[in-house]
Amino acid sequence: MKMAAKALRTINYEERAKDTDYKKRLNKVMTEKEAVETFLHDGDSFCMGGFVMWRQPESVMREIARQGKKNLSLIDESGTFEGIDLLVELGMLDRIDTAYAITRQVGGISGTPALERGLKEGLPRPVEAGGVLATPKDKVKSDVPPLKIVDWTNFQVALRFVAGGFNVPFMPCRSSIGSDIPKYNKEIKEITDPYENKPLILIPAYKPDVAFISVQRADRRGNGQIWGFKGTDYWKSRAAKYVVLLTEELVPTERIYENPGLTTIPAYCTDAVVHLPYNCHPTGCFGCYTVDGMNFISLLLQRQSRDGALKWLDEWVFGCKNHLEYCDKLGWEKLDRLAKSEHKLNRIPA
Amino acid sequence: MGHLYTTREKYRSEQLEIMKRKCTPPELVCCAGSREIRDREVVFVGIGISDLAGAVAKLVHTPNVILVAEAGYIGFPSVAVLISPADNSAGTMAMCHQSLPEVFIDQQSGFIDVAYLGFAQMDKYGNVNVSYVTGKQLKMNGSGGGGDIASSAGRVVYTAEFNPRQWVKKVDYMTELGFLDGSRDARKKANLVGGGPSAVATDRGVFRFDSETHELYLAEVFPWQDEKDIEEVRKSFPWDLKVAGELKIMEPPTERELWALRLMDSTSNYILPSILDRPIGRIVLAGKLNLEGYDEYLGMQEKAFREILDFIS
Repeated sequence: MKMAAKALRTINYEERAKDTDYKKRLNKVMTEKEAVETFLHDGDSFCMGGFVMWRQPESVMREIARQGKKNLSLIDESGTFEGIDLLVELGMLDRIDTAYAITRQVGGISGTPALERGLKEGLPRPVEAGGVLATPKDKVKSDVPPLKIVDWTNFQVALRFVAGGFNVPFMPCRSSIGSDIPKYNKEIKEITDPYENKPLILIPAYKPDVAFISVQRADRRGNGQIWGFKGTDYWKSRAAKYVVLLTEELVPTERIYENPGLTTIPAYCTDAVVHLPYNCHPTGCFGCYTVDGMNFISLLLQRQSRDGALKWLDEWVFGCKNHLEYCDKLGWEKLDRLAKSEHKLNRIPA
Repeated sequence: MGHLYTTREKYRSEQLEIMKRKCTPPELVCCAGSREIRDREVVFVGIGISDLAGAVAKLVHTPNVILVAEAGYIGFPSVAVLISPADNSAGTMAMCHQSLPEVFIDQQSGFIDVAYLGFAQMDKYGNVNVSYVTGKQLKMNGSGGGGDIASSAGRVVYTAEFNPRQWVKKVDYMTELGFLDGSRDARKKANLVGGGPSAVATDRGVFRFDSETHELYLAEVFPWQDEKDIEEVRKSFPWDLKVAGELKIMEPPTERELWALRLMDSTSNYILPSILDRPIGRIVLAGKLNLEGYDEYLGMQEKAFREILDFIS
C-alpha cells in the first residue's frame, strides 16, 4: 500500500489538472476516488463492465456509496446484483434498466434483499417494477420518489450499447416480438419493417455518462486488454461519454504490443485508468481470481434484514477508506487463495 | 438423440422402489433433459439445472456437441456446472472467447440448434413467465437471455423440477415465447427465428408439444410412474392434459449419467435445494470464514476439476 502511494506521487496533479481533455492525455492513471469524483455526478447514468459475477468492478459500487451520489440511473444486462442492491439499500438509484437480477435462486435466501424490501415495505424507497408490480399504496410515503425498474432482455440491453456505439438512434432485432416485455416497456417500438413488411422490434440507443470497466491489463495511456469472455465491454466503452478502466495489472505500453489482438478498449476510448488489484471482489476475474462464493453467502445472510444491511454497510463500505483497506480487512491471504484456485483452470500469460 | 427407453416389465417392483429413492428430483430432471439433443448440435446452455443437462449430454451421450454460454464462451468441454454464464469453467479449453452481443447475433442468424432454459410458470402452449407473479407481489429473476433464446434458438428444451404451481391457464407475464396463442403459424406471423419449445423435462416425466395443435402433452414417464401417479400429474394441470397414445418409458438415470452429474456439481449447488444445507452454506454457518474454510470449499471444487480434466484430456 505504501509503495502504491509513493508511485502515485510521481504524477504532477497540478500540471494535469489544466489538461481537461481526458481522452487525449498520455497518462490517465488516477485513484478510484478521484475517478468517481471526476466523472460521476448526481443525476448521472452509468454502466458496469463484465457479466453476472465475473469481471464486474464491485469496488466502484462501494466507492460510489462512500461518496454518497444521488439520483443515479444504472443500465446493465444481468447486473452485478450484489452491488446494485447495495446502492438500492442507500436509495441512491432512481432507475435500473436490467434483464436479470437474482432474487430467489440463491436457494432460500434472497439475492437482492434491498430490492425486495423496497417492493414490499417501500424502504428506503418504494419500487415500481416493469409496469407490473409496485409497492402497496399504504407503504408509500408521498415525498419519496419511487425506484423504477425497466425490463429488457440481455440482447436488447446489449443492443442499446451497440446502437450508442454505432451513433444511430436504434438497432432492430427479432427478440421477444409479441411477448410482454415490449408490452410494458414502451421504449421498445414494434414496427412493420419497410423492406419485408414483417414485424420487427426497435431498441433505442443508450449513451451512459460513465462506463466503469474492469480489465486484466492496461497501460497508462488507457489501452485495456481483456482475457476470457468480452461481455458487452467493447460497445459500452464506445457508447459511454467517459470510460474508466479498472485494471488488475498496470503495464508499460511495450507489453500491450505483445498481444494487440486482446486490446478490446483502445486508448482513444479511455478517460481514466485505475490500477486496483482485486477490484472485482467478491466477483471473479478470468485468469486472475475466482468468485468468492463464501463472501457472497455470508454478506447475503447479513443483508437479509435492513438492520443487518446497514450494519454491513458500516463495516465494509463506510468503515474502509478505500479498496485497499477493504482488502486489508478481508485478508490478503484469502484473496491469494482465490487467485490460486482460478489458476488451476485459467492463467494470464506472464 | 441420446434417448434411452425401456419397459416397465423389465424391472421388479422392489427394484423400482430402490431406483426411485436413489435419485433426487434435480438428478432426474438433468438426466431426462440430457437425452434431448443430437450429436454435433450447437447447444446454448443456461445456468444451474439447465446447464447440468447440457454438461451431462456433452460428457456422456453426445461428445461432439458445441456448448455455448451467453457471456461469450463457445465450445467448452464443461469442467464444472455454470453458476453464471460468465464462469471461468466455461472459458477453460474453450474453442472461442467472444462477446455477448456476438453470441446473440449468431443465434439470430440461426446457428444455435437447441437451447436449455428453466421456467417458473408455463401455459398450455409453452409460453413462459420468469419475471413476475402478480398475486403474490413476487419479482422473479427476469428474462436474462431467456427472452432472446425462446425467440431465436432452433428449439428449446425446458428443464425444471415438477411443481403443480408451475402450470397456469394464462401466464402472469409472458417473458419467453412459446407457441403464443397456439395457432398454426403464430410464430411465423410474429417473425420469430426459432422453432419454439420442443420438450419440457421434469422429474415426473417428459412433456412435448403436439405438432398440429401445439398443445402440451405427457410423452414419456419413468418406469416407477404407474397409472395412479400419471393421474396425479394430470390433476395438477388447470386444463385437461393429454397423454400420448403410446406413452414411452424412460430408462432411469444410468450410472454414467449420475457420475457425470456428481462430478459437474461437486459442491451440490443444484442437488441440494437449500443453500444452507450445501457444503458452502455449512462452512459459512459454522463461521469458518478464514483461510481454512476457503481451503475446504475451494479444495472440493479443485478436486473435481482435476478428475474431469483427467477424463477429457
